[in-house]
Amino acid sequence: MSRRWKLWAATAFFLIVAALPQLVRSPYYVHLMILIMMNSVLAMTFVMLLRAGLLNMSMAAFWGIGAYTSAMLTLKGGLSFWWSLPASVTISAVIALVVGAILVRNSGLGFIIPSLIFAFIVPLVFGTFRVFGGHVGLIRVPAPDSIPLPGGSALMFGSEASYYYLLLAFAVIVVVVLLALYRSWVGRAWRAMGLSNDLAQSVGINLFRYRLLGFVIVSAMAALMGVFFAHYSTNIQPGSYGPFKAIYIQMYAILGGIGSPVIGPIIGAGILTVIPEALRVVKNFEPMVTGALIVLILIFLPQGITGFLDGRSARQTSAYLFGLLRGHQREKAYSLRGDRQALEGEGKLGESDDVESEAG
Amino acid sequence: MGRTLVQLFIDGLSMGLVYVLMSSGFNLVIAVPNIIFIAFGEFYMLGAFVVWYVQVPAGLSYFIAVPAAVIITAILGGLSYLLVFRPLQFRRNQFLTNIIAGVGLMLILGQAALMMFGTEARGVPSLVSKVCEVLGVRISLEKVVVILLSVVVLAALHFVLRRTRTGRAMRAVSFRPDVAALQGVNADRMFLVAMILGCALAGFAGAVMAPIFGVDLGMAENGFLVMLVVMLGGIGSMPGAILGGLVFGMTLSYGQYFIGSGESQILFFAVILAILLFKPGGILGKNIEEIGHV
Repeated sequence: MSRRWKLWAATAFFLIVAALPQLVRSPYYVHLMILIMMNSVLAMTFVMLLRAGLLNMSMAAFWGIGAYTSAMLTLKGGLSFWWSLPASVTISAVIALVVGAILVRNSGLGFIIPSLIFAFIVPLVFGTFRVFGGHVGLIRVPAPDSIPLPGGSALMFGSEASYYYLLLAFAVIVVVVLLALYRSWVGRAWRAMGLSNDLAQSVGINLFRYRLLGFVIVSAMAALMGVFFAHYSTNIQPGSYGPFKAIYIQMYAILGGIGSPVIGPIIGAGILTVIPEALRVVKNFEPMVTGALIVLILIFLPQGITGFLDGRSARQTSAYLFGLLRGHQREKAYSLRGDRQALEGEGKLGESDDVESEAG
Repeated sequence: MGRTLVQLFIDGLSMGLVYVLMSSGFNLVIAVPNIIFIAFGEFYMLGAFVVWYVQVPAGLSYFIAVPAAVIITAILGGLSYLLVFRPLQFRRNQFLTNIIAGVGLMLILGQAALMMFGTEARGVPSLVSKVCEVLGVRISLEKVVVILLSVVVLAALHFVLRRTRTGRAMRAVSFRPDVAALQGVNADRMFLVAMILGCALAGFAGAVMAPIFGVDLGMAENGFLVMLVVMLGGIGSMPGAILGGLVFGMTLSYGQYFIGSGESQILFFAVILAILLFKPGGILGKNIEEIGHV
């Protein structure tokens, strides 16, 4: 696809997203869309670090840190939302800098597990100490103050739609920053690190510095989403920021396909937010169906949904699916060449690594 | 004071040994098929539930209930490997997809358990409710039974892994699957065996724990704790699993008594974090940088 075409597609997509709350009047559906957007932004940032070779389980923790910091600042410190927003993001970034300086010294499982442990510690700290409201959490987090408009009126925050546009603004900022980063020297360094740490180091990339940079950026973005969520949902409990959420964020990213860093998370988060809601009809079976669906998508679409759709016609698609069903793929995969060790040398990220083409 | 300390030690030992059992199982699953098995806690819970079903509604003895729990969790573990994980092995990104598939499995099993058992906690009649006094220290025999059973099973596991052909093949596969394949080891079958053994160990741990703590859905969360215990001891290291489990059990029992459960867990996690930063593979583990490079 040409760049111009992509630009048009991106603009059209943005316009549709911006118009949605006007078309869908029901607050419930707007609420769902807010959740989808927030989850997809979280998954996008997760993918960013994943492409640098770090599987970050502490996303949910920083999401929670952002939420709690802002809630504390507005509730106990009496700050207005517009002051507490930059303050909370900065504080979270500083925490990420300190924690990251310790965590990113190792990669692989040596990073995954400590970041998972951090994801355990944070909600425990929130749940244990009185200052943070214990297991009940913090309630009545105030809504953002209204913004005065030149015409004498004011932009009030109360309805779902107003929050939707606030989040949309945040999401656009995050996406623009992400795409700019991917196209810059930093993004290329991350990609090199994702392919091979040794190789990246041999061309003079300071692994520690770039990992730390990525970790801080990603955590600050997660914290931004956390700040939004705290003021949107108005009460926050430590339980919602646990490792389970971290795994869900990872799930959005993987199911959507990590080959495309923006569209993939949106699709993944959309599917995994809508399906459980839609399945409420069959109430009791909902988690089972969701679980089965996750497993099926993983088995049949190994590159995620976007990786699967990428450059395939309908006929190729059905042929591929039948091939999988009849076990052709498996025979090939079980040869010695397809072995885990043989993969060590190759890039193991998604096959369609074409970031720049999406940037248009 | 001294007596309390001894009592806490026995509590910690029995709890720690159960964690040793679970983390040995988890270790097998992570070292041989390279799966970070998120749904592991579900198997622990299932083991306990089977014991409840066999003992309370069916009214059979505890000594029938434990083997039943082991067999059922083993079958479920084998099935979950064949149906869910087998198609995902030997692929690009298999490390990531294994984690997510585990989450899918966890949702399915957790919900199935919820629908069958409901949310309430249920008690299981204890095997021996007697308390004996040794040198003025009150020791509940129940915990002694737990300790004995766990030690026996651990010894058997050790024997299987060290002395039998299958155990050696499994260790070869965990070392390097391709080299093991050149020696004629069927890696796929070893993955299956490791999953069955691992899940059976979790089921056994649940079965042993059921009479002491009762049975409820919250037990599944222990899977996450087991993960941390394994990391502390070192991935793929059986002595590491023993060390990590015992340290965790002691922390739980002493920490709960002296500083409260929340604070002691935070302390424990912080200590693990500190250890892992200096020894990324855990205390007794090897270097694991290359395992999770995504």
